Amino acid sequence: MEPNFPEEFFYLSLGEIQAKLRAKEFKVKELTKAWCDRLESRGPKYNALAHSLRKPAMKAAKYHDKDFKRERFRSPLHGIPYGAKDLLSYANHPTEWGAPPFNGQVFKEHAKVIAKLEGVGANCIGKLAMVELAGGGGYRYPNASSTGPGLNPWDVTRWSGGSSSGSGAAVAAGLVPFALSSETFGSILIPAAYCGVTGLRPTYGLVSRSGAMALSWTMDKIGLMCRTAEDCGLVLQVIAGGDGDDPGSADKSFYYTPEYVRPFSEMRIGWDPADLDAVEDPAVRQALREAIQVLLKLGFQVKEVKLPDLPYATVASTIIACEMASVFEPLVADGRIQQLVDKAQAAGIVAATEYKATDYLKAMRLRRVIQDAMAKVFDGVDVLISPSRAKVAERITDRIDDWRSSLPLLAAGNVAGLPALSLPCGFAQNLPVGISVVSRAFQENLLLAVGKQFQAQTDWHKRRPPLPA
Amino acid sequence: MRRRDLASIFLTAVPVAAQTTAATVPDELSAARERVRAAGAELAKLAVPMATEPAFQFKAY
Repeated sequence: MEPNFPEEFFYLSLGEIQAKLRAKEFKVKELTKAWCDRLESRGPKYNALAHSLRKPAMKAAKYHDKDFKRERFRSPLHGIPYGAKDLLSYANHPTEWGAPPFNGQVFKEHAKVIAKLEGVGANCIGKLAMVELAGGGGYRYPNASSTGPGLNPWDVTRWSGGSSSGSGAAVAAGLVPFALSSETFGSILIPAAYCGVTGLRPTYGLVSRSGAMALSWTMDKIGLMCRTAEDCGLVLQVIAGGDGDDPGSADKSFYYTPEYVRPFSEMRIGWDPADLDAVEDPAVRQALREAIQVLLKLGFQVKEVKLPDLPYATVASTIIACEMASVFEPLVADGRIQQLVDKAQAAGIVAATEYKATDYLKAMRLRRVIQDAMAKVFDGVDVLISPSRAKVAERITDRIDDWRSSLPLLAAGNVAGLPALSLPCGFAQNLPVGISVVSRAFQENLLLAVGKQFQAQTDWHKRRPPLPA
Repeated sequence: MRRRDLASIFLTAVPVAAQTTAATVPDELSAARERVRAAGAELAKLAVPMATEPAFQFKAY
């Protein structure tokens, strides 16, 4: 008889699912089938699914069951299904980057992160939807994707965020236990905040990008969306590490050891009260204020911090635009750029080819100035906190092309390549609100320790969206 | 219209359809070019010490 998986099962943490697998409550094959059924039936309701990978996942599940039968456990992720943003290649299956010009594109090899997860027994069950070409050209509306606008499971009239729209929606709706995603300038933190999930943007260079679509070589990071900070740590431990195929690789590994982080009472948390003033919605402001209080109660010393007045967003946008113009030059040259869904995105990429070399070099020199400035900020504090987003998710009909003009820490963190963790921290208008914690480079264990303690004090990450109609 | 027909309209979940082609907005390219120009102008205003090298790495192999 097939096991019955109740609705709440699909919101368990990775550790809880793994414990049930090892207790032989069900087989990997049954688990994989249940998640595939769910992803295929509910994914389209949120425009979250790009391609199902049921066939290879079910085949792999059969072999994992043989391992479990012999109690050959490969890792805490063994047998556990997950989804991957359609920006990452999965061998011999479509990888379309959310963009019509790349419909039917197939690669022969897995992206390095997918190969690493396969090596420890995690099972990719689907490619998740994304904003076309990760939105680098700038887009006006949430529907800038070949799969349509990412719909938010908390309210399908709202956007799930971009560009990792499918990853955010799929984790929030319990369609996958965790999802691989990517961030160049907000593509993990924003959907994580909008969808009420935990999002980790690792330090630039910690996770290999080989097999991922390039948008901006010096800004792209592969990261995660999970149910908890603990889950982020377990997955990051697998996907982090040096890679000779990625020129940006930092050749560093990561071991999830939050228990060895210094006591919070010896550390300083920095925040800028002006960040809250930038939040217009009083309900969002209240949720963030309460989250800050919870963080402060963890024992940190508090310091008010003002980021130096530097053109963070302009530097980020210029670097991304110049590198993107080179990446997609062939698309502009042969006219396929006009097949993009969003006309502004196409225009943005065409116009980006007109940047001067001196603009790019100036932005890269200012990037050095920004890195030095951020290093000085972190001389005085151990972590910075800021709203992940100053508002709740937009309506899917809203214009969204002004999003980069928001909070400075999002741009500063991305330009400097710093890690960040977005934590669900409340609700406004029945939609999730997120708060971000940012640290020095390669201090992911500190971020995850903060996230773990925050989630021990709150239950926002355990909330579930309504069932789909 | 019968009540069951009306109910089927309200109870059927229909995802918002994807667009398949870009809507034509004639001013998009000039607006994008203006953003490029404005970004260049903003960067030009900022003085950077001559010794500050661009923040990218090259690794020989």
